Amino acid sequence: MSHRTRRRRMYTLRLLAAGLLLAVAGCAGDGAGSPAAKEPQTASALTIAVGGDQGTLTPYTYRTGYPGYHLMSLVFDTLLVLDPSNQVTPLLATGLTTSADSRVFTLPLRTDVSWHDGEAFTADDVVFSIDYYRKHDSVRFASALAAVEDVQVRDATVVITLDKPDPEFPVRQLADMPILARHVWSGITDPQKAPVSAAVGTGPYRLAGYEPERRYELTANTAYPIGKPRVDKLSVSVIPQQQTALAALRTGEVHLVADEVPPNLTDQLSAQQGVKMATGSNFSSTLLVFNDGKAPFDRVELRQAISAAIDTRDLVDTILLGQGTVGSPGFWHPEAPGADTSLKHSYDPAAAAAKLDALGAAPGADGVRVLDGKPLSFELLVYADSPDRVRAAELITEMLGKVGVKTTVRAMDADSVDVKVWPDFDVAKGRDFDLAMWGWSATTMTAYTKLAGLVATDPKAGSLNVTGVVDAELDTVAKELLATTALAERQAAAGRLQQLLAQKTPFVTLYYPAGAYAYRGDVFAGWAYQQGWGPLNKNSLVARHG
Amino acid sequence: MTVASRPAPARIGLARAALGRAGGYVAVFAVALTITFLLPRALPGGPLRTLGGGEVGDLDPAARAKVVAAYGLDQPLHVQFGRYLRDLIRLDLGESFNGGRPVVEAIREALPWTLLLVGTSVLLTAAVGVLLGVIAGLRRGRGKGNLLLAGVLLFDAAPAFWVGMLCILFFGVHLGVLPTFGVTTAGHTGLAAVGDVASHLVLPVGVLVATGIGQFFLVTRFSVASALHAPHVEHAHARGIPHRRVVARHLLRPALLPVHTQLMMELGWLVGGALVVETVFAYPGLGRLTFDAIQGRDYPTMQGTFLTLTVTVLVMNALADLTYPLLDPRIRARGRS
Repeated sequence: MSHRTRRRRMYTLRLLAAGLLLAVAGCAGDGAGSPAAKEPQTASALTIAVGGDQGTLTPYTYRTGYPGYHLMSLVFDTLLVLDPSNQVTPLLATGLTTSADSRVFTLPLRTDVSWHDGEAFTADDVVFSIDYYRKHDSVRFASALAAVEDVQVRDATVVITLDKPDPEFPVRQLADMPILARHVWSGITDPQKAPVSAAVGTGPYRLAGYEPERRYELTANTAYPIGKPRVDKLSVSVIPQQQTALAALRTGEVHLVADEVPPNLTDQLSAQQGVKMATGSNFSSTLLVFNDGKAPFDRVELRQAISAAIDTRDLVDTILLGQGTVGSPGFWHPEAPGADTSLKHSYDPAAAAAKLDALGAAPGADGVRVLDGKPLSFELLVYADSPDRVRAAELITEMLGKVGVKTTVRAMDADSVDVKVWPDFDVAKGRDFDLAMWGWSATTMTAYTKLAGLVATDPKAGSLNVTGVVDAELDTVAKELLATTALAERQAAAGRLQQLLAQKTPFVTLYYPAGAYAYRGDVFAGWAYQQGWGPLNKNSLVARHG
Repeated sequence: MTVASRPAPARIGLARAALGRAGGYVAVFAVALTITFLLPRALPGGPLRTLGGGEVGDLDPAARAKVVAAYGLDQPLHVQFGRYLRDLIRLDLGESFNGGRPVVEAIREALPWTLLLVGTSVLLTAAVGVLLGVIAGLRRGRGKGNLLLAGVLLFDAAPAFWVGMLCILFFGVHLGVLPTFGVTTAGHTGLAAVGDVASHLVLPVGVLVATGIGQFFLVTRFSVASALHAPHVEHAHARGIPHRRVVARHLLRPALLPVHTQLMMELGWLVGGALVVETVFAYPGLGRLTFDAIQGRDYPTMQGTFLTLTVTVLVMNALADLTYPLLDPRIRARGRS
């Protein structure tokens, strides 16, 4: 059986299994609707199910994204940290002072912190970490450090000076970059192959055991001075099949499933005794991207017409069963900091048809419009292993068909789609597609610079410009955004860019699925949902002092 | 030419045949070796996401190039192949792109679990399949035989994934008598640990047996049923030989020849694991290791697992060749002549 056929078969089987789980959940009758029991905020032991191995939990070898980064963050600390509402708060640093020009960042450090092996944490470790990341730059923490001009230590205070202003440096670097132990990492010359023994941090949990592809054992760091770990022992089990993980949740073998629960299962699961759902926003996005550098998508009017022909509310209601947010034409999630919430998608097929008429795209004999002698008939690429995106592509095909634009859905394995849309993850290498279902992870909405990255023409600034849009106005505002020196200015520029994105439509932001995570509330109910991400994070598992 | 003078050329003939067979295996191995190297690289995409992490787009082109060069992937294909062969001679299968773990170590950790799971299930599948096949063969066309046939075909047609989920929900969630995932529960030692491993094995083995006995069952059933009224069987009955003995010696024994072939084929794929069942039950075997490696375009791990599979298939084929004469007197006789 070919890989593609197997994936299709797996997809069908998953649907079968989801239906099966629903059916059994419905008739099992194991206490649905019982009154809420106590909601424990501490536990002696918890088991968390993750969908795949998350690497060796060092900053160079963890599996990026959620939950890999968040597991690694239980072992390693950052200077600052984002709270559940994504506001920057101190962690290893006791505070932050930023110069008026956003170039100098002064961070007094805690003096009561130790590494898991008992060595004292000092400012030297911070300086070493910055140097180490800059030297071994094959990790994302290195990108923003290229602008570091100088690092000074004065009385347990670190002063970082950049060669150019970066008002987002605290949120995208200081609250993101794990601090390395100098005495451990100074001997590691090839960090991509860092052994599991290098997972020595200052965080609230020590990595006590790791069996690749099977499980992690984390024990509470009782000497953690910043707060008290709420769970004594965390066991993280790798369970690739979500239905199995959800069954294990019901039996009590697992207490949190780190992967999102599909919308069709949330009601049934939350009706089970002891099972609760942690819900919140999810900053990952689903988009319809055009190849903007290629005719006819280089015409703004055509992109606007296609956008107007898509009923994004219907997509959210049909595919996500209403458990999601309609995409903002400005890309930014309405609940993400700095969002322009006045921007709303306008579904208007009549206006879409009128725009196409105005372009001169008249319907041909088969009903498909013809523009400049060529039918508006395109291939729409989609990941075959993403059921919601495949369904969205099918619905979009129907919607566009009503205004005379024909799309043919082509489901391919993820790598094949990536090769066509984002070859080698380098926008400078071009692209080979018409239309594609695409998505960006929640990380994209953590910094305004990413917004500029989506549309800037220069590949260095526009590293996420997979559509290849070339537009002078977008470029100008993106440059303005990147040149801002104060956070308020940058936020204002981001607002302008969102409005321009809505106007130029280099892509259509379809929706943001809501986050829903199942856990055993009768064992531990202290999960703090971090907006945009999920419940598995340091805020959930540490009761901070003071 | 006297009879006494014949053995020398016969031995030479046998040696030539053995050499020819061995040469065939070596040629197949060489081709397989090349394919195991080329196949991963023929897949769309590449290992950059695995090497550089999910946010690889955040790396600048120079950092990306550095990552690729660190694993020698910037070298021409023939240079990479040369290195692969050189390392293979040293029994070094390289390091995984996913965290740098030696591939040999990853295979060594996964192999015992796969052998335990698939080995147990193949042997049980063969035993149960043959037993039910004999029963159904003896009752061909009758109520019980037809019922057995329908039942086995039903399970054979059912996807292992679906049967696995049903078993998890019934035995794990509803009855609560068996664990739903993994191979061990932390904290068990000694005999308790053995019992723990066994309890984790019950459901996946059960699913593999239930969904896999079809071939053994059908082959045995057909062989038994078609020989039921053969002259030698009728003759044995006429001689007053007890029915059970007739079944064992005159019906079952000839039926075992195709079963043996089937068993060897199944054993050959032993280390390929049981991908679907390993995935459903979170069983850390070679099937999952291979699948994860394919997903992440982890070339060294793919090469290592493909190679392990190739070697096992070849060894099992050779074993089948060697053991077939023990079961089939016609082959022995042909060998002697």
